[in-house]
Amino acid sequence: MEKPDYKLGKVTISFAVICLLIVMGIIGNGLMGGDDTKSSIQSGVLIAATAGFDEKGAANFQRFESTSLAYLAGTSSDRNLEEFYSRRQYSGSPPFIPHPVDDQFGAEKDCLSCHQNGGYTQKWKRNAPVTPHPEQEMCRQCHMVKKTDQQFVDHDWLSVPPPRLGGSHLPGSPPPFPHPLQMRENCIACHVGPGAVTEIRVDHPSRGVCRQCHMPEAAHIEPFDRDS
Amino acid sequence: MELSRRSFIKTAAFNSAMAAAAVLFPGVTFGVWKDNNAGSSSITWKKTPCRFCGTGCGLLVGVSNDRAVAVKGDPNCSVNKGLCCVKGYHSVQALYGKDRLKTAQIRKKGKLVDVPISEALDLIALKMKETIKKHGKDSVSIYGSGQWTIPDGYVASKLFKGCIGTNNVEANARLCMASAVVGFMTTFGLDEPMGCYDDIDHADVFITWGNNMAEMHPVLFSRMVANRKEKKHVKIIDFATRNTRSSLASDKSILFNPQTDLAVANSICYEIIRNNWVNWDFVKKHVSFFKGKTDIGYGTEDHFKFTDKLNPVDIDGYKEFLKDYTPEKVEKISGVSAKDIKYLASIYGDPTKKVTSFWCMGMNQHTRGTWINNLVYNIHLLVGKISSPGNSPFSLTGQPSACGTVREVGTLTHALPKGVVMSAKHREMAAKIWKVPVENIDPKPTYHTVEMFRALDRGDIRFMWIQVTNPMVTMPNLTRYRNGAKKDDRFVVVSDVYPTPTTDIADVILPAAMWIEREGFYGNSERRTQHFEQIVPAQGDAMCDTWQIIEVARRLGYQDKFPWSQENYIEEIWNEYIQFHDTPKHRMAPYSLLKQRSGVQWPFVEGKETKWRFNAKYDPAAKGKDFDFYGKPDHRARILLRPYEPAAEFPDRDYPFWLNTGRVLEHWHTGSMTRRVPILHAAVPEAFVEINAKDAANLGIVNDGKVKISSRRGSVVMKASINGRGNPPMGMVFVPFFDESYLINEVTLDAFCPMSKQPDYKKCAVKIERV
Repeated sequence: MEKPDYKLGKVTISFAVICLLIVMGIIGNGLMGGDDTKSSIQSGVLIAATAGFDEKGAANFQRFESTSLAYLAGTSSDRNLEEFYSRRQYSGSPPFIPHPVDDQFGAEKDCLSCHQNGGYTQKWKRNAPVTPHPEQEMCRQCHMVKKTDQQFVDHDWLSVPPPRLGGSHLPGSPPPFPHPLQMRENCIACHVGPGAVTEIRVDHPSRGVCRQCHMPEAAHIEPFDRDS
Repeated sequence: MELSRRSFIKTAAFNSAMAAAAVLFPGVTFGVWKDNNAGSSSITWKKTPCRFCGTGCGLLVGVSNDRAVAVKGDPNCSVNKGLCCVKGYHSVQALYGKDRLKTAQIRKKGKLVDVPISEALDLIALKMKETIKKHGKDSVSIYGSGQWTIPDGYVASKLFKGCIGTNNVEANARLCMASAVVGFMTTFGLDEPMGCYDDIDHADVFITWGNNMAEMHPVLFSRMVANRKEKKHVKIIDFATRNTRSSLASDKSILFNPQTDLAVANSICYEIIRNNWVNWDFVKKHVSFFKGKTDIGYGTEDHFKFTDKLNPVDIDGYKEFLKDYTPEKVEKISGVSAKDIKYLASIYGDPTKKVTSFWCMGMNQHTRGTWINNLVYNIHLLVGKISSPGNSPFSLTGQPSACGTVREVGTLTHALPKGVVMSAKHREMAAKIWKVPVENIDPKPTYHTVEMFRALDRGDIRFMWIQVTNPMVTMPNLTRYRNGAKKDDRFVVVSDVYPTPTTDIADVILPAAMWIEREGFYGNSERRTQHFEQIVPAQGDAMCDTWQIIEVARRLGYQDKFPWSQENYIEEIWNEYIQFHDTPKHRMAPYSLLKQRSGVQWPFVEGKETKWRFNAKYDPAAKGKDFDFYGKPDHRARILLRPYEPAAEFPDRDYPFWLNTGRVLEHWHTGSMTRRVPILHAAVPEAFVEINAKDAANLGIVNDGKVKISSRRGSVVMKASINGRGNPPMGMVFVPFFDESYLINEVTLDAFCPMSKQPDYKKCAVKIERV
C-alpha cells in the first residue's frame, strides 16, 4: 500500500500544525455569528448529520460484515479527489453520471448492479464506486447524464471549497469527519476498497466501527462549559 | 490489517498537507466551482421549502458570505425526510444566472431601457389610473401564479378586489389545478386533499392516474418505492396514456386511450357494484347521488359560458347510468382490456387493501377535468376508502404554492380569501378584514385565465400585470394571445427574475427578488404551510413581489390599506390573512410556529395539525363517530354521475396523431430558472418530440432527426426521441414545454373544461412529418 503521494506528507507535519491554528481561527469566527436562529438550526443539523449513522447502524455494520476482506483491502488509483469534485456542483451535491446510460433502462435499480457492491467492471475498465445509499432505488431522480457541456447562459456560481482532509485535533489523532453524514451514513462505501477515491481511502479498512475514533468536525460543536 | 505507526503518521501528515493546501492557497481547490473565499467551515444552514413543484420538500440551504452555496434535504421536514430530487439539490444555483434581472426597465420608442425602480413603479401606477379612467376598472388585471408566495397573492387580491374593485385577478394555477378545485368543491364542498403524504407509508396499493410521478413528484415516488421495498406486498399500478419512468418502476402498467379515463372510472364503479364490493354502511351514512348536465362543450369560442345544474338521483338511477360502462363496452373505446378493468376494480373493492390514488395534470388538464376528478372520488366513496391512513384519493399539485396562495388565498376571478365574490356573506367578511366598503367588492366574476387573455386580445382588458409566470410560453393556442398582448394600447407589466418570452413583450419589467431573497410562505399539496425567511440579499434593485404591489397600491392612494413597514410586513400580512380562516375547518398556524417548524398542516387546532380531514378520529371539525363530510350542508360527500364524452379535438385523417405535452424531471415549467442551472441544462439541453418506434419507422424518422409537428393552429420543428425515457404508444407524440426555442403551445388547443375553465394540454390532433 505504498502511495507515492505520502512523500508529500513527510515534509509537512509542522506545516500542518500551523494550518491547524489557522483553521481553528476560522472555526472560531464561524461560531461568533450573532444570529439567534442559527444555533437551534445548527444543532438540528448536527443531530441530523450524525443520526443517520446510528439509525442505520445495524445496516452499516451488516454491510461491513458482508464485505469481503479482499474487497476491504483492495486499492486502485482509478479515481482521485480532483475527479471526484469535478462531478459535483458543490461539496455534497449529487454527482452526475460520467458514462452513457440507456434511457429505457427497465427497473431503475439496475444502477445498483454495479454501484451497490462495487468491483471491477469490464465495460468501463475500472472499479465502480459504491453508493453510500443503496436503499434509494430511483437513482436518476438525482444523478444525471450530461448531454452537453455548454451552458444555456453563463452563471455566477460560487461555493465553499471542499472540506479539508485531516484536521486532526492533535498531531496524529484520528481526523474528524468533515462532511454531514446525511445520505452518506455508510463510511465504508466511499472510504475503502478499489472503487474509493485514493486520497480518502483509509488504510485500516478492517476496523468496521468508524465512529469509535472519528467524530463530527468541531466547527459545529460548542465548547464544554460547566457554568452554562 | 493492522495500522502501523509509520503509516498512521504518513496518513496524518498527508491529510494535514491537503488541509494546508486548501487553507493557505484558497485559489487551489479541487472543485469545478469558483471559491467564495470563505473557507469550508463558513456555512450556516437555513430551512426553506423547495422552490420547484408542489411536493414541498424541506431544504436546508447552506449560506456563506451572503451567498447560497449548497443544499441538503431537511431531515426535520416530514415531506421528504432529508431526500431531494436533482432540482432541489441544485435549486440555489437558479439564483445566479448571469442574466438575472437586476434593474427595472421601461420600453421607450420600442426599446427596453434601464430606469430606477421608483420610476417604473410611478409609471405602472399612472398607467393603471389612466386605463381605469378611460376604460373602467375591469380593464386592468393582474395575472399571478402558483409560485406566488401567500403574501404576494394576498396583497394582489386586496388591491384589485378590495380597493380597485375588479375581479380581474387570475393565476397560472388555473392552467394547473382548477379542475382539482372544482372536483373537490362539487364532491365535498371544500377544497384540498383530505389525506396527507403519510398515506404513502400506510397504503397497500397505489394507483396513479395519468401521472408520471417518478419525474414530476420524484420524492413522493421514492417514498412509495421505499414503502414497497420495506413491505414486499405493496404494489404500484401505473394507469396512463404513455410509458414513462413511472411505468418502468411500477408493478403493472395499463395504457388507456386519451380521454377514456372517464369511461374506465365508471366501469370500475360498475364492477364494484356488480360484485357487491360496495361499503353500504359508508354509502348509506355519508354519500348522496347527483346527476349534472351533459354535452357541456369545450369553450373554444370567446365569451363561452357554462353553469352546471345538479339533480338528485338514487342508487338505482346510478346503477342505470352505469349500464353503459360494462368492462366489455369500455374495453372497445378505452383500449383497456375488460380483464384489466376488473383487476383495477378488484383492488379498489378488496376490503383488506388500503388504496391511494394519485393524480395531477393528466386528470386536471382535461376538457372533462372536473368530471374525472369527481369519478375517481366516486370510486373511493363507493368502497369507503377515504379520509383514513392509506385510503386516499390524492390530488397532487404542480406548483409550490398553488394550494397555499391560489387556492387558499383565492387569487382567481370568482374567489376571495374565504369563499366567493358571489356570496354577500363572504364579501362582507373580506370588506371587514380589509377595512374597505363592502360595495367595493364586485359580486360578479370577470374573466378566467384563457378568457382574460382573450379579453386582452379583444381590448376589453388594456392593462395586465404579470408576476412569477411566463404565459408567452404556457398559454395554449399561444400565437393568438401573444399577438393580442403586443397590440397597440395594451400595457403589460412583467415582474420576473430572468428575461423570458414574456418579458420580451413587456412595456415595463420589474426585477423580482427570488424565493429565499425575500421572506414568504408556500402551501404544498398536503395542506402544509411553509415559511422561509430571507436567507440571502436581493440582487441589484430586485424587489419582493409583495412589496412591488404595496408600492403601486400606495401610489394609487391606498396607503391606509397597505400601512406595513418593510421590517415586518410579511408577518403583519400573515396575521391579517389568517383571520379569514379562523375556524376549526381551516385554522392556520401562528407566524412564530411557522418560523420554527419545517411546515405546519392546517387545520391547525389547539396546537395540533390535522392529518386526515372529515374523519372524527383525526379532525376536530368532524362531528359524530366516524366520517363527517361537513363541506356540504347535508354532511354527505357526493357521488356524481358524469358520463364519458370525447375530447375537443381528436386524431382524424388530416391530423392523425394525439399531441400530449408536459414536463421532464430536470426542468421546471418553462425552464426560465432550471435552464440556468448547469447540471439541469446539461442533462436536458433542449426539447424533443417522443414518438413511437413503429410510427417513426413508418414515417422514416430516426432518433435526433428533425420532425415537423403541425396542428390547425401552428407548427414546430424539433428533434425526435425514439425509445427515450418516455415512450408514447402508436398514434401519440409527446413534447415537453420547457424550451422557449420550440413553442409547442403554438400547436396546442385552447379548449378547456367548461366547469373549471382549465385548458387541456394533453390532447389535440397533429400531423407529423420528417423534415
